[in-house]
Amino acid sequence: MSGEGRAESRRSASASRPRSGRLIFWLAPLALLPLPLFLNQYQQYVLNLILMYVPVGVGFNVVVGNLGQLAFSNVAFFGLGGYTAGILMAKLGLPWWATVLPAGIMGAVAGCAASVPALRGVRSFSLAIMTLAFGELMRWTYIRSEWLTGGSMGMAVPASDLFGWRLDLESHKFYVFLVLAVAVVIATDRLLRSRVGRAFIAIKDNEVAAAAMGVPTGRYYVLGLAWSGFVVGIGGSMYALLVGHLSPDSFNLIELILEFAIIMVGGLGSLAGSVVGAVVITATPEIFSNFPGFEELIFGLLIVLVILVLPRGLASLLARLHPVFRDRYYEGA
Amino acid sequence: MLMMTPQLVVSGISTGMLYAVVALSMTVVYKATTVVNFGHGDLVMAGAYAAFVFTAGIGLPFVPALVLALGALFLFGLAMQRALIEPILTGPHLSLAMMALAVGNVLRGAARLEWGNETLMLARPYPQTSFLLGPIVLTMDDIVISAVVLLLLLALFVVFHLSPLGKVVQAVFQTQRGAALVGINVRAFHGTMWGTGAALGAAGGALLALNTALTPDMGAWTLVRGFAAMTLGGFGSLYGAVVGGLLLGIMEKLLGFYVSTAFIDITAYVVTIVVLLVRPQGLFGRVAGRSV
Amino acid sequence: MASLLELAEVTVRYGGLNAVDNVSLSVRPGEVCAVIGPNGAGKTTLFNVVTGNAQSTSGRILFRDEEIQRLSPHEIAARGVRRTFQLGALFGELTALENVLAGLHTEIESGLLGLLLGSRRARAAERAATAEARQLLELMEIGHLADRPARELSGGQQRMVEIVRAVASKPRLLLLDEPAVGLAPPMRAHLESVIRSLAKERQTGILVIEHAIELVMNISDRVIVLNYGAKIADAPPAEARANKAVLEAYLGHA
Repeated sequence: MSGEGRAESRRSASASRPRSGRLIFWLAPLALLPLPLFLNQYQQYVLNLILMYVPVGVGFNVVVGNLGQLAFSNVAFFGLGGYTAGILMAKLGLPWWATVLPAGIMGAVAGCAASVPALRGVRSFSLAIMTLAFGELMRWTYIRSEWLTGGSMGMAVPASDLFGWRLDLESHKFYVFLVLAVAVVIATDRLLRSRVGRAFIAIKDNEVAAAAMGVPTGRYYVLGLAWSGFVVGIGGSMYALLVGHLSPDSFNLIELILEFAIIMVGGLGSLAGSVVGAVVITATPEIFSNFPGFEELIFGLLIVLVILVLPRGLASLLARLHPVFRDRYYEGA
Repeated sequence: MLMMTPQLVVSGISTGMLYAVVALSMTVVYKATTVVNFGHGDLVMAGAYAAFVFTAGIGLPFVPALVLALGALFLFGLAMQRALIEPILTGPHLSLAMMALAVGNVLRGAARLEWGNETLMLARPYPQTSFLLGPIVLTMDDIVISAVVLLLLLALFVVFHLSPLGKVVQAVFQTQRGAALVGINVRAFHGTMWGTGAALGAAGGALLALNTALTPDMGAWTLVRGFAAMTLGGFGSLYGAVVGGLLLGIMEKLLGFYVSTAFIDITAYVVTIVVLLVRPQGLFGRVAGRSV
Repeated sequence: MASLLELAEVTVRYGGLNAVDNVSLSVRPGEVCAVIGPNGAGKTTLFNVVTGNAQSTSGRILFRDEEIQRLSPHEIAARGVRRTFQLGALFGELTALENVLAGLHTEIESGLLGLLLGSRRARAAERAATAEARQLLELMEIGHLADRPARELSGGQQRMVEIVRAVASKPRLLLLDEPAVGLAPPMRAHLESVIRSLAKERQTGILVIEHAIELVMNISDRVIVLNYGAKIADAPPAEARANKAVLEAYLGHA
């Protein structure tokens, strides 16, 4: 029957689509590998900064874009990850690579804590306010725990190496960051293209209906926030290595808004958007001059513009160009 | 041991008055459009800087400068609502939250660009004296701030309850659709209420700048405390905002003295988190219903 | 197990009003029961209390001999209860296919670790579910809509997708809340045959809230009539139609 024939060809067509999406995860990083040969120290630093913001944006987007929750706790995960890595390195003398997972785990724990209000039914603006307060509480903790964090002056992160391979060179950091960023993107992609990703969107669109399909919504709130905390925490450990210095002021409301800019300009709920957003937002301050306040002004205007003109972010534009930028939440027949 | 309590309560009320006017300004905006203005702290900051510009910059005496600052912020709030909020009012909450945050960001960036990290202060138009009332020390700051806020509250009360405009406001606060049906221009109302909220916030900012340094970052500080007061008093309750603000100020001082100085900073955070977890409607708010 | 679903003197009280008033009924596997009544009679509330979206004030609800009135909606759904919603409740951002896959959520065996590592088992489970979902949509003759975002579909198409989503996991008990609204006659006929085959072949117990009397008469084994929250009739279609109390409820006093 012609209907069956159509179904057959459609099935094979969609089978090839995901394959092109998967390939880019491996090809794009490979293409980036020779970059350190062409970039100077500063440019390499900016690239590393972009790579650091990839997991931060990805994690944030999972909660805000996919789960649809106004959890403003991202900067708390980021700071917690950073300080965990820094403290483990400075106080316990651990090498950096050994702090990555603990940073992620601390972030995940914070994510679970942040899910408590969501589980109690706190939604929308109230959740935003509460998580804002939580973030500020964390910052106050960093300031007041001078014995551990160096207080408001901050703390230095000691230099580290990877089994003898120096990590104080920007080009060396690049390779490690590339591996981490790619791993986070691939893992999150797998998460989103599964029943978990569908459950997130279902909860966002209609929580009652999601529960009616047997989705344990509470568990998925925790999962989403824990995953977000985990990858953002890893981003925090990258921050510790990259910047070499941790201070409470690095993890304040301004930083939160930068992270918002990343996911809004890139595209809410879009994994590709998180990456695109990280590139655009991180590169922007470097293009403009270094006047204090200019960044905030630009980010503010960008967000206003995006909301009014391109609510689904740059990813929606790119999706029209190539299917790899399109969000899909299934594997393909 | 508890002898300090009256003093603490009094200075707590003074700070609480500031919180009250900020929380009230945020509540006005919320009741009018059900939008939580995450940029409101920066409006307060803008009001403080506006007052500074009109006094130190242009050289006007305090009261006219204050009035101008309030007027300027009123217009800004109105314009912001009309141009940026009204078009997306029916959209997702996230967009509204982000829009508000973004506008606040722009204000803060502009302030930082212009004045950077200079320490500025608003010159007091009154002598910096203090009075002794029994065992209690009352500073002129306390008196002026409380007096101004009380005056504002009184004016608002009179307008709200006794004037024809107030009747319109009450109507719209109760039911927007009903108000529209009887011919009230609800959209114009949205703008006016945002303007009023911004102006009230500006008043809070100017008062705050009398005894605290002006910095571009004072917005974040104010925002969190405004939220704490609103949450405590009950979201959407005008009286709750005032009571919440006063209570917050008093709690900060009492806990800060008797338990730990940490509480001067963190009472607001703790109150927000605890109230939202334990009794989300606060003292005077209403429980949000859930329907299938 | 005699009955699939059993309500024993269930009352749902809101304020001073009984939205559901002392209702007792039972549904056997393979039985199609229509729930009818004037607007506001408590039909959707009855559904809500079965699926856990509303709390009963008193009475017991048993599903396969297990008391479920204190369970949460997802726990009840996990036991094999599925529903559609009166106003439609598709996940707008997901495609039709992804919506049906969401309906298969509980059937897909992919653990978190397996997913993250891209294990063969997890991927195979996902792929199998996707194939099944496509097939289901084809069977309902809306396969061509599979990759369209749900919010772009017409009202009638959305209804059909919602029904496919609800039956995808082969539920034991299916509650359809006004499934025929917005469906053109050929679709309605299709819906009728789907309901009948589900009941007969899979022994699914089906409760249908419907205003379309024709549909009710065609598919139901029994008709349950509610008025002001109380059950006023529970009989095969022909009997119910002739019932005096039922006529009065709909038409007022003669």
